[in-house]
Amino acid sequence: MVFVHGLVMDNLSSFYYTLAAPLAAAGVGTILFDLRGHGLSARPDSGYSPLDGARDLVAILDELGVEEPVHLLGNSYGGVVAMRTALLAPDRVAGVVLVEAACGGAAGELWFEDIVNTLSVAALGLEFDRTQDQLVTLGQRKIARLAGNASALLNGTTLIDDLGSGPALSEQDLRNVTCRVLGVFGAESELVGAAAELAEHIPRCTLHVIPGLGHTVLREATDELLATVLDWLGVDRVGMDRMPG
Amino acid sequence: MPDDVLAQLTKMIEDVVGADVLLGVEITKETTFSDDIGLESIEFVALADRLRQHYGERVDLVGFLAEMDIDEIMAMSVGRLVDHIEASVGLAADRG
Repeated sequence: MVFVHGLVMDNLSSFYYTLAAPLAAAGVGTILFDLRGHGLSARPDSGYSPLDGARDLVAILDELGVEEPVHLLGNSYGGVVAMRTALLAPDRVAGVVLVEAACGGAAGELWFEDIVNTLSVAALGLEFDRTQDQLVTLGQRKIARLAGNASALLNGTTLIDDLGSGPALSEQDLRNVTCRVLGVFGAESELVGAAAELAEHIPRCTLHVIPGLGHTVLREATDELLATVLDWLGVDRVGMDRMPG
Repeated sequence: MPDDVLAQLTKMIEDVVGADVLLGVEITKETTFSDDIGLESIEFVALADRLRQHYGERVDLVGFLAEMDIDEIMAMSVGRLVDHIEASVGLAADRG
């Protein structure tokens, strides 16, 4: 299973501490990576669209010599990249788990616009309020570093433009998804409408909606998410049925 | 042996965060990763990687971390990790 994290402040550690260890313990091969510009990955000036992300993911599989189809698990924006990958290289993807991710259709487009707007505002704030300098002065080195990285990504690369430019996945694109898809969403999340759209258009889609939760499913409902994924994969928690990664 | 593991871990922490971040911070068994060292989650992953490279099969870091949630991990003291490593290496040595 290949894990794909979310935007800007996120990186592979959010899976390392939640799903990856128990899945590995259950016998599932796990691959974690940092998206371009995130975590400890390189941060080039450009190449930040979801399609670029999908190409990066396939390149990583090639680099690791993984030829058999893999399952992808994407959290938030990571789910968008995962779905792009499933469409870009259907022979490389056995299934996709979307955790709080709107991938396309009308709701997907709206969510994306929202993200681009939020990031644009954040970028301005980081650049002009000199947040990073203030934080260093206050002795908040750790947060200052996080703010510095966020600013470098938002202000120093084409990420915001790349996200805003390309066409989102259409309803037809979603109908063209051939692999199994599991969508896990919080009942209180603004994406619950997008979840319904996914189930409507993606042929082999299962939805699992968790009551009382919003966007933070990965962190707040880790155990339930883990159990749902293991069940969907057909893997016994004790690791008796081994599925390929 | 106990001092060796702490010294080894201290060196790895320095490698991961950089010596300048650790200026004025003396790493002891009571030092916490998040509050005292200001270790980012992703840096802890890099640290775990180095530990795995150094101690290999003898130390089951994945199992150790799987039992804790992220807040517990970050609130962990250096000493707790040192104890786990020593216990694991000690067991491996006993098995010969």
